[in-house]
Amino acid sequence: MAPDRNDPLAGPFWQAAANSELRITWCEHCDRAVWYPKADCPQCQGELHWRALSGDATLLSWSEVLAPINPDHAPPYITGLVCPLEAPEVRLVTRIVDCEADRLRCDMPLRVCFRALQPREGQPFMAPLFSPC
Amino acid sequence: MPQQSIEALARRAPVPDWGQSLPLEDTRGEVAITGIGETAVTGPSGRHPKAMALEAVAAAITDAGLRPEQVDGLMVAAGVADQLTAEDFHEHFGTSQPLWFSTDGGAMVWAATCAHTAALAMRRKQARHIVNVFAVDWATRRAAGTGTPGDWHASEIMKAHFELPFGWYPQPVYFATFARRYMHDYGLTAEQLAALPMTFRRHANRDPAAVMYERELTLEKYLARTPLADPLRMEDCCLISDGAAAWVMSPAEEARDMPHAPIAVEGVGHGRVHGAPYISQQRVITATPQPFAAPWAYAMADTAPAEIDVIAVYDCFSSTALMQIEGLGFCREGEGGEFIQEDRLYYQRHRRLGGIPCNTHGGLLSHSYLLGISHVVELVKQLRGDAVNQVDSARVAAYAGFTADEASTLILKRGN
Repeated sequence: MAPDRNDPLAGPFWQAAANSELRITWCEHCDRAVWYPKADCPQCQGELHWRALSGDATLLSWSEVLAPINPDHAPPYITGLVCPLEAPEVRLVTRIVDCEADRLRCDMPLRVCFRALQPREGQPFMAPLFSPC
Repeated sequence: MPQQSIEALARRAPVPDWGQSLPLEDTRGEVAITGIGETAVTGPSGRHPKAMALEAVAAAITDAGLRPEQVDGLMVAAGVADQLTAEDFHEHFGTSQPLWFSTDGGAMVWAATCAHTAALAMRRKQARHIVNVFAVDWATRRAAGTGTPGDWHASEIMKAHFELPFGWYPQPVYFATFARRYMHDYGLTAEQLAALPMTFRRHANRDPAAVMYERELTLEKYLARTPLADPLRMEDCCLISDGAAAWVMSPAEEARDMPHAPIAVEGVGHGRVHGAPYISQQRVITATPQPFAAPWAYAMADTAPAEIDVIAVYDCFSSTALMQIEGLGFCREGEGGEFIQEDRLYYQRHRRLGGIPCNTHGGLLSHSYLLGISHVVELVKQLRGDAVNQVDSARVAAYAGFTADEASTLILKRGN
């Protein structure tokens, strides 16, 4: 299934991706990221905004999926957790592309790229993926 | 020993800053496990969970020397399909007594915390003999294409929007990602990790009731497997099973007059990570939330890892079991790879070797995937002296429960 771009809470992430932008929810008052998105800031109850990030990140960890254990994604593929430069406490789940798994190292610098992912059912959608710099 | 206040327990149970202990009242020694019951554990059986649950409940009641009409409490799991209701109980046993009912029971973390919930219910005189039961038919469901353990994850809205689109699903992918980081930080090798599935398999190979009874696992076989989600191989992942287990909890003062040596509930702990339920956002991905549960249980029981004879840890994945052993305090975080080598988790190890007998029934990896309820039943057998893989002179046991963002600890002790 493609993610729902019209979902009030999560949709803006995917609308941004369609415009080749990486955005996450941010509390301006606390000046910190709040991830995943919430109705308001859990600390100050203030409004959250979708802030654009540079796309620079580091690799927290990854796994190369080698067997058909996910009905929607054909192996092999590499998925993992990356920490954006502006909010290192946040983990973005993503795909790691343009790199063999044996070249990956924890904490290595990555850069965002926008590619279409094709779900098993439905239309392809643009997604923020990451590759080594 | 006088009862300890919640404040005193909290002082004795310091925890890291990326999660919290839930403040459980001191219920040390108030409740005993007085009866256990199990069905066969199998692959796809076509059996309905309620039928399996009733079989396990009947066996547990008989084992406790009770009649069904003497049971006045029933605890089951929430969020798992087709668990027992009070009406099911009465219809099956032909009874009509008032039945205190709770959905804070079952398996996973609740296989530990249900004993605390039951103690509070007994204090309030809501029930005297409480049955906890859990049944699952995921082997049948998977074969029929009608359900998997990943269903909740796939339906959760944030996971559906921010994890599934990238293929970070199902659970083996989460825990492979965590295991990869652990390997990076602490130098754990595939050969070292193999000690967990291999030791649990050796336990199962001695128990005809275990699903993997006839399937031996060598290091060569393990290493020859292509990982499912690197670095986790098939043998690092839990089975998918059908089956049920149950136990009876009774007030300690009544347990002394029941057929079996009472197995006292000495300590319970329950912890949760900040950011729950999204483990992708867990600050430390090289540990489970067990460090937020075990200290509280040890403080309540006034005990420590050195006094424990046998453990059962929730081992949905081998790497999770490793982190649970560390979280219970048997070694420091990162030292588990060394700690588990040779025979140190085997039921028959020499005590001077160190280590701790772990998952002596084979665990979720090799006995069955009953989500931890069989782990506690196994510990009761160990403390009674009735286990297939009996640990010599086992008197104190600990269960480490887990549900990804939460963990729990149950400390049991054989009474005199």
